Amino acid sequence: MTKRTQSKIDRRRFLSRSAKAAASIAAAGIVAATLYDKEGPRTGIGSDELVTLRDFSVEHRPGKIMSVVKGPDRTGAVNQALDLLGGIERFVSQGDTVAIKPNVAFASSAMLGATSNPELVAEVVRLCYARGKAKKVFVLDNPINDPASCFRWSGIGKAVSQVGGKVILPRESMFRHTSLEGGKLIRNWPIFSEPLEKVDKLIGIAVVKDHQHSRASMTMKNWYGLLGGRRNIFHQDINTIIAELAMLVKPTLVILDGIQTMITNGPTGGSLSDLKQTNTLIASCDMVAADSYGCGLLGLKPSDLPYLGKAENAGVGTTDYESLKPMLAI
Amino acid sequence: MKAETGRSKRLETVVSIILLGIISIICLCIILRQSPRITQSGDVPDLLSLTPQGFTAPSITEVYNSGNLYEKINGKAPQYTESGFERLFTQRFAGDNDELIELYLYDMGNLRNAFSVYSIQKRPQTEALPNTKFGYKTSNSLYFVHGKYYIELIAYSESEKLIEAMVQIGKSLRGKLEIDQTAEIAELSLFEQENIVAGSIKLYLANTFGFEDLTETFSSRYIIDGQAVTGFLSKRTNAAEADTLAKSYSDFLIENGGSIKKAINKNIGSTVKNQSLKIFDFYDTTEIVFSTGPFVAGVHEAENQQAAEKLALLFMNKLAGMVKSK
Amino acid sequence: MKIVQTRRISQAFFFTLFLWLCIVSTIGDKLWQLRNWPVNWFLQLDPLTAIGTILTTHTLYRTLAWALVTIVLTIIFGRFFCSWVCPFGSLHHFVGFLAHRKKTNAQKIKLNKYRKAQRIKYFVLVFVLAMAAFPSLAATLQTGLLDPIPLVTRSFNLVLVPIFDRAANVTSATPRFYEGAWLIFTIFLTAILLNIVFPRFYCRFICPLGALFGILGRFAIWRIGKTQSKCSNCMLCEKSCEGGCEPAQSIRIAECVLCFNCRQDCEDEVICYQSRGSLAGEITDPDISRRGFVLSVVSGVFAVGAVRFGNKLGGNWSHKVIRPPGALAEEEFLKRCIKCGQCMRICPTNVIQPGGFQGGLENLWTPVLNNRIGSSGCQLNCVACSEICPTSAIRPISLPEKLGTDEFADTGPIKIGTAFVDRNRCLAWAMDKPCIVCQENCPVSPKAIYTQEVFNTIRDGLLKVKKVSGNIVETIENNLKQDSFSTGDYFCAIKGERYKIIANSENSIETSAEEKFKEKLVAGDKIEIQIRLQKPYIDISKCIGCGVCEHECPVSGKKAIRISAEGETRSPDRKLLLKS
Repeated sequence: MTKRTQSKIDRRRFLSRSAKAAASIAAAGIVAATLYDKEGPRTGIGSDELVTLRDFSVEHRPGKIMSVVKGPDRTGAVNQALDLLGGIERFVSQGDTVAIKPNVAFASSAMLGATSNPELVAEVVRLCYARGKAKKVFVLDNPINDPASCFRWSGIGKAVSQVGGKVILPRESMFRHTSLEGGKLIRNWPIFSEPLEKVDKLIGIAVVKDHQHSRASMTMKNWYGLLGGRRNIFHQDINTIIAELAMLVKPTLVILDGIQTMITNGPTGGSLSDLKQTNTLIASCDMVAADSYGCGLLGLKPSDLPYLGKAENAGVGTTDYESLKPMLAI
Repeated sequence: MKAETGRSKRLETVVSIILLGIISIICLCIILRQSPRITQSGDVPDLLSLTPQGFTAPSITEVYNSGNLYEKINGKAPQYTESGFERLFTQRFAGDNDELIELYLYDMGNLRNAFSVYSIQKRPQTEALPNTKFGYKTSNSLYFVHGKYYIELIAYSESEKLIEAMVQIGKSLRGKLEIDQTAEIAELSLFEQENIVAGSIKLYLANTFGFEDLTETFSSRYIIDGQAVTGFLSKRTNAAEADTLAKSYSDFLIENGGSIKKAINKNIGSTVKNQSLKIFDFYDTTEIVFSTGPFVAGVHEAENQQAAEKLALLFMNKLAGMVKSK
Repeated sequence: MKIVQTRRISQAFFFTLFLWLCIVSTIGDKLWQLRNWPVNWFLQLDPLTAIGTILTTHTLYRTLAWALVTIVLTIIFGRFFCSWVCPFGSLHHFVGFLAHRKKTNAQKIKLNKYRKAQRIKYFVLVFVLAMAAFPSLAATLQTGLLDPIPLVTRSFNLVLVPIFDRAANVTSATPRFYEGAWLIFTIFLTAILLNIVFPRFYCRFICPLGALFGILGRFAIWRIGKTQSKCSNCMLCEKSCEGGCEPAQSIRIAECVLCFNCRQDCEDEVICYQSRGSLAGEITDPDISRRGFVLSVVSGVFAVGAVRFGNKLGGNWSHKVIRPPGALAEEEFLKRCIKCGQCMRICPTNVIQPGGFQGGLENLWTPVLNNRIGSSGCQLNCVACSEICPTSAIRPISLPEKLGTDEFADTGPIKIGTAFVDRNRCLAWAMDKPCIVCQENCPVSPKAIYTQEVFNTIRDGLLKVKKVSGNIVETIENNLKQDSFSTGDYFCAIKGERYKIIANSENSIETSAEEKFKEKLVAGDKIEIQIRLQKPYIDISKCIGCGVCEHECPVSGKKAIRISAEGETRSPDRKLLLKS
């Protein structure tokens, strides 16, 4: 190798290296400029982006807002109640993904009535598939006791999977923070939102239960099961949180099961003597109306439950369910 | 080969000098940057830097607002909070043998407020503080107004060293606090200087002499024929308002047990045209009220009626001159 | 003038500057106090801190932009920082020199050979950056554990400066205490002593920052190399080689720390800092295999999982981890804290302490308040820690924001925890002894601690009257302790009324003469000796968790009033009250 070629090679290497160095410097500069944060973190509180829950409700049909069916047969009653409102086809369209939120709060037997009835939940799942032509039906809740045990002992897990529904057990990563606009309590609070982000419809299935704290647990209180975090702090202001939940969640439909009502020792019960046969099942697009009717099964008036008034004032629905001219089938 | 070595040695020196130059520049920048910060936390004035030589600051600057002022000065708090108080900063300085100096820096919002709390609390028979418009000292403490600030400096012993350090703190504090130099209290020039007791002017922002409506009122003591007499004056927005106030104050005096009495000096009634001049007997003292132009003025609880009338005349002439010159 | 001398001057300058900045990190305005000294400058120049926080937060906090200067200079000139600026490097350099100065040249050359283990530092770097880089897996910033700048800052601030300042107390009003300082010191000492094995042991084998510089300096325009491929092969150039980069053969650019000793030692004068590569060949890339790289990334990712398995950010969070006011929510905090100890150094009361493992491994050396140490809890009118934090893990807050005044009146004060009274230990609650120290010291206005007055009959306090004369009651019992009831807290209960006791003898009780007995007492009547107690209660809507009460509590072993992190403003999910 001559001295000349050597110096030529050196020169080429030098230039290529310089180019690479310049490119690295430019890259570092661009990264720094892009990510430069002059302000720094503004609040000390977690900076998660807030999510908002979708509005799952369907087209309003006057006169077909709420139906009440009397009788002891749950599956029959729910079919009849839905048909009165226009059938499940009105609520679930072909190819929809549906989320069903039953009350699975406790790991207790279905017999005790502290949780939604598994046959009823399964029947709704079945209807979604068979008549609503749903693509997929999820069943979800964030129970108070261990989730897997709750779905198992309540019988809901098994009943749902037999008809092709899929149970979603809550995991921490599925919760996102949300704030209710104009809300006092639901501010930057984790909510079981991830599964709801990928569904088209949301159906709530609740039981009529006595509740020590709020006096009655029905369809509105059922949404408590979407809250994450240390939600029991809200027990310091139970009426406001129930009303705010009703403002936050806009379901397609709610089903209130009052075939049996837990009239004492709620919300857990524990004895069959806590239950009373009340032979009523309600399907409704208006949660407030459904709960206003349902509280009668506990011997309460809507005015006994402050959260109903709060929700009504917020425009969620009406406590004057008679005005909706509910369709009755006895 | 040798030449090249020589050159590289020179280069080495040059590079070294450049590098040392850079280091020197870094050093210089750091030294320039380290000058003390104006504020330590938020907008708390930096009082620690006032620490005199040989002293230490045993605690950080304490800050009080109107909500917790009573924690520091207890029952005296309302006097400040009702006079536009904004914040109090306190700082202790400790010398040898735990000799303490404590600094109270009251931010009163403006000069008037600061002057008011200063003047009302002013201790009698004290020595004026040089280089301050409003200030005095006692054997162990300094009190003065500096712009919107009212400042108290208290030494917890009378040792010479401590007093010296205290005076030093006062001086450097005046140099440090930025104030509105143009602010002044116009009414002070309205007082007749003859026979006045120096430094006796007080400003009551409200509730003067127990009368609610008598706001923004200045008072001053005079020695007339060997008698101590207190005169007062207050400037209102216009003559009508001044007249109304003079009347309502007269009514207030009568309601509270005062009665009108005749003047000894016959001339007093004709000096000002205004008919609102009244002389009261108020529990064996003489109270005089009158208004002229936008001013309400008078004499408060004088032991001697003659002296009181003399002072009222002095006020009338001075104020009438002011009204005319405008 | 020789370049090696210049390097020594530079090292001496930056080391002195570092030491000086450690000393001046003291609140105050004297020349040797905080003023405006750039006390975070070394931390800000550290690109590992900048890159680590970029990976975790996806932002570059403004002051950390200084790192760009270091990065650009390294890209152009190579790993200059290690031999010219780094205070930890200079310390190793010096100690290594002392340890090996009497060795023969042959021994020294052997000592400074390149060793395979020098690749470990790259694995360390990749490992900590992998921990920081995967947000979906919970990114955690652990660069500060081994990054030399936070390490040396921590060691000087929390151990060495306080030790040297024990007598003079220039850097603090009273001697300082730092819990777990032994571990910080042990690591520091080990790193220093390892220079006896190899010079610059830490720099060559462990230092993740050195590794980062090695990678950044790949395309350095100027580099050390030979001007001829052949020389006398005396190997003297490797005698004092600080980096262990073998300049005699194919020089390893990533290991070269630009100490220029080779140039100085070369008798043939063939070694030069030049723009063309060494004629004896060079190895530009760090000695890190793809397998090693992948392994480090995978280990880092798994390590994040393992570290977070304690669920310390979830339900198993530690109530003992009380962060300074202004600290971000825990997850965000851990993305930024580099464990440098600046907040602990500046804290005027010494209450901020290096954390241990109570909050999991990630908590190590992060700031945690310990009210048992220091002069008095967290001072109300102080935000020094938030102002000094170099990465804004404790974000800068103003006094009004801390106290919830002025424009922050709506949001209220920043709470860092809540005080809880331990009623089993409290003198007033459990021992029937009057004590309201916590209430008296509560600095919040209105006080967050209030008391309720109760009167308890003391043990053996039921007495029988023998005789009454005026306000003196003689008792049948004659075993009372002279004047033990005269403190003003004891009362004599007579037929439903209470009278303050002002004196007592073995068999008589005298009550205040101002109050005559309402009921007539006769021999044989029963009276009770009662103590007045003011039992402390916490108003949790007022308590800010400053810890002054815990600090002052006279039950000194396990305090009878203690701060627990519940209720801290930065974690709304952990609040105790729905509305305050």
